[in-house]
Amino acid sequence: MKIKFKNALLALPLSASLLMVSCGGDPHEGDDMTHTDTTKVDSAAVETGIETGELSFQVPSPGEMLTFVRMVGGKGNKNTSFLNPADNNKNYNDSKSKALNFGIYSCDLSYCSTFEIGVEAFKYFKVVKQLGDEIGVSTSIDASMAKRLEQNVGNADSLAAISDDLYYDSFEALQNGKQGNVLALVIAGGYIESLYIVTNLVKYEANSPGIQRVADQKYTLENIIDFLKKYQSDASVASVLTELNGLKAEFDKLKETSAGDTKGKDGVKVLGGGTTIEITAAQYKTISEKIKTIRNSFTQSK
Amino acid sequence: MKKILTILAVTIASVLSTDLAAQTSVCGQFHRKNCAMESDKDDDREFLYNAQSKSGLFAQGSTSKMRCVIYKGMDYRMTVCCETAGSQINFKIFDAKTNEELYDNAKDENSTQFEFQSASTRQLIIELTVPTGEAASKKGKPTDAACVGLLIEHKVSDKTGFSKY
Repeated sequence: MKIKFKNALLALPLSASLLMVSCGGDPHEGDDMTHTDTTKVDSAAVETGIETGELSFQVPSPGEMLTFVRMVGGKGNKNTSFLNPADNNKNYNDSKSKALNFGIYSCDLSYCSTFEIGVEAFKYFKVVKQLGDEIGVSTSIDASMAKRLEQNVGNADSLAAISDDLYYDSFEALQNGKQGNVLALVIAGGYIESLYIVTNLVKYEANSPGIQRVADQKYTLENIIDFLKKYQSDASVASVLTELNGLKAEFDKLKETSAGDTKGKDGVKVLGGGTTIEITAAQYKTISEKIKTIRNSFTQSK
Repeated sequence: MKKILTILAVTIASVLSTDLAAQTSVCGQFHRKNCAMESDKDDDREFLYNAQSKSGLFAQGSTSKMRCVIYKGMDYRMTVCCETAGSQINFKIFDAKTNEELYDNAKDENSTQFEFQSASTRQLIIELTVPTGEAASKKGKPTDAACVGLLIEHKVSDKTGFSKY
């Protein structure tokens, strides 16, 4: 994969609301089918530190999963008992815990927005702002975003979208600031928190949409791990990567079967093929406990 | 509830002094401003913005790939746009595991929008080939580069499909 330097410069990833990173995954690592030859180390990126954009990958926002859970599980949920208490903010004094918990609190803010828990949303916004300042992200909300929020009071979908914007605009600020290692920790924190919340809300029921959505996280986790690998020379990232690989090992035990044909409704095209991931009650319990362990290691760090 | 959220909104406006313009890059939210089609505005289905959307500044004539995750049980609408005038963006979708080509807009009258469901949750490779052509000159952006946007939207599939999830 040779890339002219000029092109490498021109291909700087510039998304304002996404995670866009060159993939540093090893195509020969393990037997994971996703590590095909489409996942190559971008030599230009490695040598120059420049994101070439030739191969990038995206990660669905934690808010997307929370919105899905609200759709399938009902809007009435107001449980905040499992969120990371805003007061814990005072315990985070090192750069690693600040970055991880910036991601966690951003996800908690998204949760409160999604489920219209206004009082808590206010609390979490304040800690997100504070931690954002401390890790070098002046949280990316401008006047127009505040206006959008004001205009959409009472509209959970819009509030959730605005929370997403905050989350990903922060990502962009970290990318632009060449703080890839911090970004990696933020992503890991936010992602694990979203899994933790969902596994607290969704009780096991075979073939339920919520349970299937958790099983499907295998793919998103793979993207996140690939991203963290790029910064594994950083000791904090390396330690988190070890924990995420432990979780991946559990997801890798899930059985995959060929997906059956599905007919689209109203003429919508269906992309056929692929596999369906199956998860048993015991596997769900194991994965949930693993998620809890990792998440608590993030929130209890000082 | 409304009062609290209103206070939140006002607080946000007052406590933040972030110069977002200084943080955003040349193409910024290009996809949000330029990819939505006129026909979408009359579409009463509630597609939601998907955070895997992106904008990027790329050398004209170059090809770029991104990997994303889509879920079974959801409808997706992908729309591409580019600032170069009078050119077609080539837009392909591959299965990330098998490299099987699932869609090519060259075989779909060069459509810039594709709406679909997937039989399974999967990783997709989206490949965009950026056309050559005159691009707007802008501070910090070479004239031989072009902003390209990919807008991804999603919604839960209608009940009949969802029940088979």
